[in-house]
Amino acid sequence: MQKGNDNMLIPSLETDTQEIESVVSLSQKNNVATKKKAPNCECAIVKSENFSFYYGSKAGVKDISMEIYPCSVTAIIGPSGCGKSTFLRSINRINDLIPHTHIDGKLFVNGHNVYDKNTNLVNLRQQVGMVFQKPNPFPKNIFDNVAYGPRLQGVKNRSSLQQVVESSLKAAALWDEVKDDLKKSALALSGGQQQRLCIARALATRPNIILMDEPCSALDPIATGKIEDLIDKLQNDYTIVIVTHNMQQAARVSKRTAFFCLGELIEYDSTVKIFRNPGKKQTEDYVTGRFG
Amino acid sequence: MRHIIRRITDKAFTILTGTSVVLLTSVLLIILGPMVWRGAKAVIFKDTIEFRKMQLDLYNRGNSEALKIETSETESFRRTVYKIVDDFKHGIDTEELIDKSKQIYRQFGKELRYRGITGKQYQKIRSLARDLRGRLQAAFESNDKKIIKENIDYVLQYRKNKYFVDTTAAEFFTLAEDFYKTIENIDLNKRQEYTASLQQIEEVIFQLLGPRPDEPLPALTMERYGATRWDLAQKLLDNLLWSQQWIQQEAGQPLTKIRVSRAEQFAGTKLEPLFGYVENNLAKMLKPEYTFYWQYFIDDSTPGHYFGGVGPEILGTLLLTLLAMLFVFPLGVISAAYLVECASDNIAVRIIRMCINTLAGVPSIVFGLFGLAFFVLFFIPLFGGPSKPCILAASMTLAVLTLPVMIRASEEAIRSVPQTYKEASLGLGASRFRTFVKVTLPAALPGILTGVILSISRVAGETAPILFTGAVALGPLPKSLFDPTRTLSYGSYDIAVGDRLAMMVPHNQYGMVVTLVLLILSLNAIAIVLRARVFRRLRGE
Repeated sequence: MQKGNDNMLIPSLETDTQEIESVVSLSQKNNVATKKKAPNCECAIVKSENFSFYYGSKAGVKDISMEIYPCSVTAIIGPSGCGKSTFLRSINRINDLIPHTHIDGKLFVNGHNVYDKNTNLVNLRQQVGMVFQKPNPFPKNIFDNVAYGPRLQGVKNRSSLQQVVESSLKAAALWDEVKDDLKKSALALSGGQQQRLCIARALATRPNIILMDEPCSALDPIATGKIEDLIDKLQNDYTIVIVTHNMQQAARVSKRTAFFCLGELIEYDSTVKIFRNPGKKQTEDYVTGRFG
Repeated sequence: MRHIIRRITDKAFTILTGTSVVLLTSVLLIILGPMVWRGAKAVIFKDTIEFRKMQLDLYNRGNSEALKIETSETESFRRTVYKIVDDFKHGIDTEELIDKSKQIYRQFGKELRYRGITGKQYQKIRSLARDLRGRLQAAFESNDKKIIKENIDYVLQYRKNKYFVDTTAAEFFTLAEDFYKTIENIDLNKRQEYTASLQQIEEVIFQLLGPRPDEPLPALTMERYGATRWDLAQKLLDNLLWSQQWIQQEAGQPLTKIRVSRAEQFAGTKLEPLFGYVENNLAKMLKPEYTFYWQYFIDDSTPGHYFGGVGPEILGTLLLTLLAMLFVFPLGVISAAYLVECASDNIAVRIIRMCINTLAGVPSIVFGLFGLAFFVLFFIPLFGGPSKPCILAASMTLAVLTLPVMIRASEEAIRSVPQTYKEASLGLGASRFRTFVKVTLPAALPGILTGVILSISRVAGETAPILFTGAVALGPLPKSLFDPTRTLSYGSYDIAVGDRLAMMVPHNQYGMVVTLVLLILSLNAIAIVLRARVFRRLRGE
């Protein structure tokens, strides 16, 4: 950040920090409340060991070692180009689409190294659902969008498809809004509805983990609020990894937060700790807004 | 100041673009207008009674009772025309007159024997008759009035001869008298000219009115009917009223064409009233009526595009185009999919891409020759088909011709599908193939249909590639894909090259061209509507 602007921005940033703190304490209460329900939360569901990802010769992420725990929300924050999306997209290997890339180290999902040669990509991606930055429903109707995953899994029966679609849309808090016109094109929905439809579509394959790559960056505050409520609700049953630019959002929704910078994992701890009492100077600079 | 300049340049730009739009439209109108106007005459025109006769005979259309009444109405006018021509012809045609005199001579000989006259007397009368015949012949063949008069007078002095009174030979004298009367009004030096002109007149009348009722029906269908169209009849009338002569005005100068009025040419003869009569009564002889001949688009043509429509041509064009699309659509899409989704960016792929771009610019006649060498002579016989031009070979050639266009359009379309669609599909666990078929292809469909539209426009109008591979100008309807077919493009080419026919049926030539344009436009319209529907569905409207 430029020096000249500092004086102007500092007051507002300070208020932001205060806000964050209040939010963190609030979400902490929520998490405590939900923690009782969530079973078996201690062994990691995603685990990376010295994981590096290279675009050509340039490293996207370097030497990441972290564990993500089930049935909770893990946020990844950091400045642009720090590799948080790269790391997220490595978990379900959607980065394979990019030519001339290679990896180093290991990345386990449910105890299997996903970069193993024998990995069944179809199974992996059905286990690890993904929600993208921009809402990207297929240019099909709502029903077909949600039923896309189950159909891939071989579900042909109309009534069971209907059941899956309904439960997924209910889980994504979209059912009440679209139940009357499931035959409507998904592209006719609003941005927030589209994003919830994408979440419903991801849920329909019954994944364990949902990766969210800045799911609210293209949405207005109201739609963002709805998605955040949804994330809060979903964390009872799913492991959610969310990449976000919005620190308040990370503070609001996540239980644990990882801070990435320049492709490296700087700090990974509980959200309360990261935002209130970060262990590293870099983290503190970033969360308080002094980081440029 | 700068503000004013900006406003002026803005205005100038607006005017410039407006003018160019107007210019483009007017150029299009100037080019297409006359063509469409003439082509429309193949369908909407003034027909004649001959057309209705033809329709009844060849296609069994129309009311035969009403036609009979109409025919009888025209009959008397036509008979007058024939009578005028015949009367004049009998007086002037040397050959005919000589034939007649010979006939009289032979009959007279028979009559003499019948009456029992034999021996010396028979010989004497016979030689006298022979003498008269010879004199008459000399008179008929002569162009000199004095010689004619001498001979005729010589013949006529035997009028009261006892041997000839009340016999067949008396006809000699009526013949002589008639001829004498005829030549009184005729410039004998013009006899050659008259005969030639008369021949032309008879030809024109034959083309106008068809064969005479008492004549046997000609073998050619084309000759069985007179002028079937009123515009053609007008043209023929012009030929009847005016003769064209090539004269040399000065030595060394090229010949110039002048129009000579036949009425003047035949002034003072028995033929003179013909011209006025035909001019005034042509409508009564042909009974023109406006007609909307929509069957033009379904009728087969009878002798080589002279009568009938372009049904088989339309069918052939459609068949070739759709078959070519059938070949080129999957090929083009699969190739494009390979180039976009699978091929890595190496030298081989770059060469393939360059080849595709080059192929798009190869002249179509080259594809025609390729089609002949590869599909007709090698590929189809390889699978047991006949080694001759056929629909299959032609459509394959057209498919090859338009493949580059299709590949390029599909490639662009597939490339422009947002990466996020693919990511979403793959993220849900779909395979790459599944993603392509279920997500990428439907999203790329509007763009691919654009390629189809471009291909249709190219394919339907091409002549050169099908020249050697499956098009014929005339012939029966194809029974299988291994038969050649007629097409609109090749048909109009053939009429244009076969010059005599083109002069007689210009409406047909333009009709074919306009039909082709309409066909391509409607095929395109279908594809555009389809594309719009797909597009709307994708957009969710």
